[in-house]
Amino acid sequence: MAEKFQYLSPEWRDEAERRLKAELSPERMNHITSSMSNIYLNCPEGKKRFLFFKFDNGELSELLVGDAEPPEAEFRITGDYDVFARITRCELGSQKALMTRKLKLKGNMIKALKLASVADRLNKVLSGIPTEF
Amino acid sequence: MGSLLDRDDPYFIDFPQRVKDIQAEMAKENIDVYLGSRLRTLSWITDAFCPWRSFIVIPSEGLPTVFTFVIDAARIADDSWLGEDHVYGFAPMGGQDQIEQIADFVLDLLNNGKGRIGVESGMSNYLTEGWLTYYEYSQFEAAFSNAELVNAHTIIDKLALIKDQGTINRFREASRIVDVGHQAVKDALQNGGYKGMTETEIAGLAAYAMRKQGSEFEWSFTGGNEIASGYRTGYMGGACTPASRRKIQAGEPLMVDIHAMFKLGLGDHAHNYLIGPANDRQRRHADNFIDIVKLTLETYRAGITPSKLAEQMMDFADERGFSDYMVPGFEHGIGFMGDEWRIGLNDGPFPYWTNPDHVYRKNEVLICAMQYACQEEGIGFRYENPIVIHEDHCEPLSKFPLAIEEIT
Repeated sequence: MAEKFQYLSPEWRDEAERRLKAELSPERMNHITSSMSNIYLNCPEGKKRFLFFKFDNGELSELLVGDAEPPEAEFRITGDYDVFARITRCELGSQKALMTRKLKLKGNMIKALKLASVADRLNKVLSGIPTEF
Repeated sequence: MGSLLDRDDPYFIDFPQRVKDIQAEMAKENIDVYLGSRLRTLSWITDAFCPWRSFIVIPSEGLPTVFTFVIDAARIADDSWLGEDHVYGFAPMGGQDQIEQIADFVLDLLNNGKGRIGVESGMSNYLTEGWLTYYEYSQFEAAFSNAELVNAHTIIDKLALIKDQGTINRFREASRIVDVGHQAVKDALQNGGYKGMTETEIAGLAAYAMRKQGSEFEWSFTGGNEIASGYRTGYMGGACTPASRRKIQAGEPLMVDIHAMFKLGLGDHAHNYLIGPANDRQRRHADNFIDIVKLTLETYRAGITPSKLAEQMMDFADERGFSDYMVPGFEHGIGFMGDEWRIGLNDGPFPYWTNPDHVYRKNEVLICAMQYACQEEGIGFRYENPIVIHEDHCEPLSKFPLAIEEIT
């Protein structure tokens, strides 16, 4: 049985970074330079957590997890842990989550729209990680 | 963008300076953030046409940011000097609907959510004015629970009143385009060309001629180009005639009121015809009208007021025996797209209507507008022309020769 990683743990982060770098080339990431903080509310242990991505010219340059204040990012997406978990399990699309007010996006949507397909690719890679939620 | 950067461009407007002027007025009134929602405010600051519900947030320092319906945000970012970083699109998504998106943005500009926020609230006969609705106001009031909302539109109204040369030149070009439209209409009507033609067809051929010249929009919400024939020219007190499918008939009057837009500057000129054969009575009405238009144009200048001018013109009409046919108003306001309502500021006896004692100043632009209507005889005429107020005269921007010609 494949090893399972605890969602948002340091080990899960390492595996996510390995997979994102291996599976998403700068071309696949449209050479984007941007950053995004996912803010997880109502986590199982009662904490607020974050997952922070930073891309420079399509290269993943930073991937952080934590429970402190997240770094400043071009886009800030806030929602319940369960919603993000469902997105990571591919049970819920991020667009639908936004359109049903399950997630809140802060940032310029015109720029966000350019990154929508890239975000989907990113979520698809993360969904492949054997994860314990 | 070209006109922004090139001060030698005849259509150059110093938009960054406009923003600084607004911010200086905000500081005087202790306003931390200005939340504009009127179309005229958006046009005047962004240099872009914002046809969908839009807002502009002006901080105390730095560049403003536009918020508009997402389907048009990228285009506005392209057209405006503000660029992509200062144009946001809103849509029904978490955090991205217009209330939440703007509220979050404004709260980031305030000190712990405290301060004074200028908004635009009032009323207008112009449907697309864009005042904050009751619902929007209530939502923002709830979102800014620690801040104070104050009505601040006079800041923009004052600054936009006197036109700079770039603005006047845009109006000049829009009027030149309108004149081309009028010539196309005249050419098409002559030599029996009017036969079988409808009002909507005239509206369309004027639009085509003006579009070929670069007009962006037959901008008036009154149906674009307004055409009236026969009895439709003579509605009592009327000055709104969206083109109908009515056919142009011999022996009837025809009113052609067409609109062009050039870089948000607005052309608006009404010209009148008698479709021959014209009788003596029609000719007399036409002469009355031309005479009062000429006198009005000779009278407009800095220092005169709407009421003083109206009194003089109505006295003239009375002496000549046609005051019963005149609508006793000789103007309407005009500015960049979205500014088509009262003259001057909101300081008259009837809130949000033209102050009859407004004293015209040099480089104000208004539409010299007159309507003559003899409903019982089914005849009327309209004159509209943007004019620039100078110290001792006015400058009509449309140069199409003033006349009521008989078309055969």
